[in-house]
Amino acid sequence: MIEVERLEKSYGFARALKGISFAVAKGEVIGFLGPNGAGKSTTMKILTGYLLPSGGRASVAGHDVVQESLAVRRCIGYLPESTPLYAEMRVDEYLRFVADIRGVASAKAPSAIARAVELCGLSRVTGKNIVELSKGYKQRVGLAQAIVHEPPVLILDEPTSGLDPNQIVEVRKLIERLGQEHTVVLSTHYLQEVEKSCTRVIVVHQGQIVADGTHQQLCAQRPAKGLRVVVRGAEPAVLATLRAALPGQAIDVAERAADRTTFRIASGAEAPAEQQVARAVVNGGFDLVELVREHATLEDVFRALTLPAGQEVAHA
Amino acid sequence: MRETLVVFRRELKSFFLSPIAYVFGILLVSVLLWYSTEPALQNGLPASAIALFGTLPFMLILFLPGLTMRTWAEERKLGTLELLMTFPVTIKQLVLGKFFAALAYLACVLVLTLGLPLTLGAYGKLDWPPVFGSYVASLLFSGAFLAVGMFWSSLTRDQIVAMLLSLVSLFALYQIGNPANVEYTVYWLPSWAIDLISAVSPHRYFLSIARGVLDTRDIVYFACFCGFFLYMNALVLHARRMKG
Repeated sequence: MIEVERLEKSYGFARALKGISFAVAKGEVIGFLGPNGAGKSTTMKILTGYLLPSGGRASVAGHDVVQESLAVRRCIGYLPESTPLYAEMRVDEYLRFVADIRGVASAKAPSAIARAVELCGLSRVTGKNIVELSKGYKQRVGLAQAIVHEPPVLILDEPTSGLDPNQIVEVRKLIERLGQEHTVVLSTHYLQEVEKSCTRVIVVHQGQIVADGTHQQLCAQRPAKGLRVVVRGAEPAVLATLRAALPGQAIDVAERAADRTTFRIASGAEAPAEQQVARAVVNGGFDLVELVREHATLEDVFRALTLPAGQEVAHA
Repeated sequence: MRETLVVFRRELKSFFLSPIAYVFGILLVSVLLWYSTEPALQNGLPASAIALFGTLPFMLILFLPGLTMRTWAEERKLGTLELLMTFPVTIKQLVLGKFFAALAYLACVLVLTLGLPLTLGAYGKLDWPPVFGSYVASLLFSGAFLAVGMFWSSLTRDQIVAMLLSLVSLFALYQIGNPANVEYTVYWLPSWAIDLISAVSPHRYFLSIARGVLDTRDIVYFACFCGFFLYMNALVLHARRMKG
């Protein structure tokens, strides 16, 4: 559906994109991750036909973004960052304008608008001026304008930024529903969003793709973090018992609370089995409160890929 | 065509949804009517439609920049321009849609001044063809000034900057062709430059407005003038696609 080959974009001397390549198949929901200024928005703006690339090529639904810009624009729905809308228009007027300019036939426009309104949960506010709406509703109007012409491809630049947690959940659900019918490319800073709604993750850093794969694939690349054990009992005694029972393992105190201590045991392939640790604690006469095997999260992956070496450890 | 019409309709509607359209319209009409009837009220001189159109170019220079400053600058500031430019419309369609919407709005404002010639016609003998000609000429003038104002608006995201640049450039463009000023330049400009200036400046077409006699050359001139600035406008928008 989308093909990007060695795409480059420079703003003056600044190189925003340094030759990125990826492909998106029909029906995929792609999460674009990356720090601010990594090149996410630039890539999206090129895909929508707004910006012209400085090098490389990109195509959407078989149409080249430069040569057949208008054809590309007909295949996409776009929600730019910060959701620009005409504040003085009513919601229904605005959606009608978008349907008209997107080339929806006048006879079909009312039903197309009704569908978008229904999907985005806007029926209560269609007669209101956009300026009166809350941020969450504005965001939904932005999404409604992106889907009113039923485009095969949706490009959403930070669709949930600036929303409250309830609104984020709502918009996320909406994106999940849209993902069933459309190919979606979305950028975000919320990592849980990617875990929940995206079938694939692309991490961009300094104008280059540094990771591309499913959430599980990316997490599997990072070493496991080992075991986290919470024990009730005197800290030195527990530590001594654990060290004696698990010779050769690195055991650290991670956190101290009033009556309990959290230990972190080793990492990587060498980590001991859970039973071994549990038995050691119980046999030592202590209460085992919690025992978890920790895996690398998307957050760890993101940090490892986008923070300069050295800083990563300080944040972990 | 269809797309141009969609842009045109939205723009025209947004004119009438914003208070600036009403403030602008009422001010322009009041000032125009005041200047054309004031001599009659003060000194008992005959009120005339000529006086109405005589002050029009100057009023347009004063008022139009306030109207055109929003055209692109506001859309850029709000970010709606980016979305607009990802719709399947060409830049030409966008520019023309916005231009004709502003022109249609101005036509509505000019219609409001019809009261004066109608009154004059009712109480005296008014020669209608020149009045009609003057209205057409006024629209041509408005179009030319709109094109200049829109061009400046496309260059900045600050509406005030767009307004000031339009005001100064329109005033300069107009006054540079004023015979009094042309005479002044005789001392230090070669004659071809003076010819060029007076050919480019809309000032020489001022008389067509006041007299209501339209020439094909006038129409060609205004078409070229609008065309030039609208084309520059489109070029600026196109350049945005390189820079973002």
